[in-house]
Amino acid sequence: MSPHDFLLAPFAYGFMQRALGSAALLGLSGGLLGCVLMLRRLALMGDALSHSLLPGIAIAYLFFGPSTSALFLGALLAGLLTALGSALISRLTRVKEDAAFGSLFIVFFGAGVAILSRLPTRLNLEHFLFGNILGVSAADLRLAGVTSGATVLVFVLFYRGILLETFDPIFHRATGGRSGLAHFGVLALTVLNLVAALQTMGVVLALGLFLLPAVSAYLWCDRFGWLLASSVAIALACSAAGILVSYYASIASGAAVVLCLGVVLLASLLCSPRYGAAARILEYIRERRGIRHSP
Amino acid sequence: MSAHHILSFRDVTVTYGRARRGQPALENLSVDIACGSLTAILGPNGAGKSTLLRAILGWVPLARGEIRIGDQHPEHALPRLAYLPQRHLIDWDFPITVRSVVEQGRYPSLRPWQRLRPDDHQRVERALAELDLGAVADRQIRQLSGGQQQRVFLARALAQGADIFLLDEPFAGLDLFAVEELTHILRSWEAQGRTVLAAVHGLDLARRVFSHGLLLATQLIAAGPLETVLTEHNVDLAFRRAQCVHDPAAPIPPAGHSP
Repeated sequence: MSPHDFLLAPFAYGFMQRALGSAALLGLSGGLLGCVLMLRRLALMGDALSHSLLPGIAIAYLFFGPSTSALFLGALLAGLLTALGSALISRLTRVKEDAAFGSLFIVFFGAGVAILSRLPTRLNLEHFLFGNILGVSAADLRLAGVTSGATVLVFVLFYRGILLETFDPIFHRATGGRSGLAHFGVLALTVLNLVAALQTMGVVLALGLFLLPAVSAYLWCDRFGWLLASSVAIALACSAAGILVSYYASIASGAAVVLCLGVVLLASLLCSPRYGAAARILEYIRERRGIRHSP
Repeated sequence: MSAHHILSFRDVTVTYGRARRGQPALENLSVDIACGSLTAILGPNGAGKSTLLRAILGWVPLARGEIRIGDQHPEHALPRLAYLPQRHLIDWDFPITVRSVVEQGRYPSLRPWQRLRPDDHQRVERALAELDLGAVADRQIRQLSGGQQQRVFLARALAQGADIFLLDEPFAGLDLFAVEELTHILRSWEAQGRTVLAAVHGLDLARRVFSHGLLLATQLIAAGPLETVLTEHNVDLAFRRAQCVHDPAAPIPPAGHSP
């Protein structure tokens, strides 16, 4: 098989085209959102949020079957409920917001697993947790297109507001920026994209497509614009590679994409010339050599 | 000193939520700040230094009173405020260059999607030059000395074209050399007629750097030229009253009775 065939042959199938399209679209928006989540230290909160979508999806599936719009609304409601619920708990009780969020999402996730395990076949549970490449319908692809387009549009229009809110929210507020709106907007876009990533990546792995490219790019870039661009490039390349790996090695698509991203992250962690582990260790050794102890 | 008062406080009272039993953070503050003065806001912890800065910026609602910003002078009708965050609130690893931070000073005057105009670039370059940051303008902000890092944010305030500069603990975490540097900058700003209001923790530091002071202990203790504000009597009053305000009911236990 020529390399040309190796890369292109799988995409003769309609489901592979849709899978690649969906992964690429979500990589585009996820790469952008991931940078903001990472820099605002919301990475773990995003992870919690993605887990908490499960009961919404499960209930929607129970009542309406595999309808994209029902699943979407269910997940959205569950996400909002978690965010609002933890905000309420932290205001009304002694419990702090991170603990509230952490407790709530576990309960939500448990409820989701409970509901799904009552379904006749186990396939559905696995499908929602880890994604199913065969399940990307034309409607799912449209949803991915709309969320990705909306995310990119928001980043293009409000690039400076997003930069300012991420870097220095106090200054943003002091100069008349809509700080609360920007914060809520990022969370809302995150939920939207997580839901759209459901079919390909599953609730557990979806955040990987957001966070891993951002963290990898963070090790190479010293400018916000470059960070966003590299993060998107890494996300796009790894989603394509992951889909191919998933096809040839017949492993779950979400897992394959996350593993590809993992390889890039590992390489970045080790080899980044300025912020990587190897550079730090070399610098340390050079410093040690530089010190001459007098006897 | 100019006769203009660029900031006027009348009977300003700020109360934080019911959780603290309605204990005011600032009480009946009435004072005027002269245009072009270099003023230190002094007082013990919890005296309301940060609250005062936040009140000027409009972040905390006033329970009573008013703050007037600006005066009759046509150029000061709507003065712009610049706020300098405390150093530890900044993520120094953020992927951003010195120039990009200074450019942020121009953002408020642009529409969200508008690009920087030639005039904006000029202001940015001027601010970089004035604070001697031209050589490091394309560096990431972690790769600067402490004094340079502080100057980046001063430059951003300059690029903003601000008339009043509000600094929250600008000397905290600076080494000796950087303190000297910042002192020099603030003094030259005073000479140029820029109004600076800074929350300052150390009294000795305030004596060395500032010309005017505003001593707080929830209420105003004294205001004016620093040597008349920081008298032994006033300082004693401010720091002792603050203790009483914090814990009005707790008597000091007699010594030697612990089990």
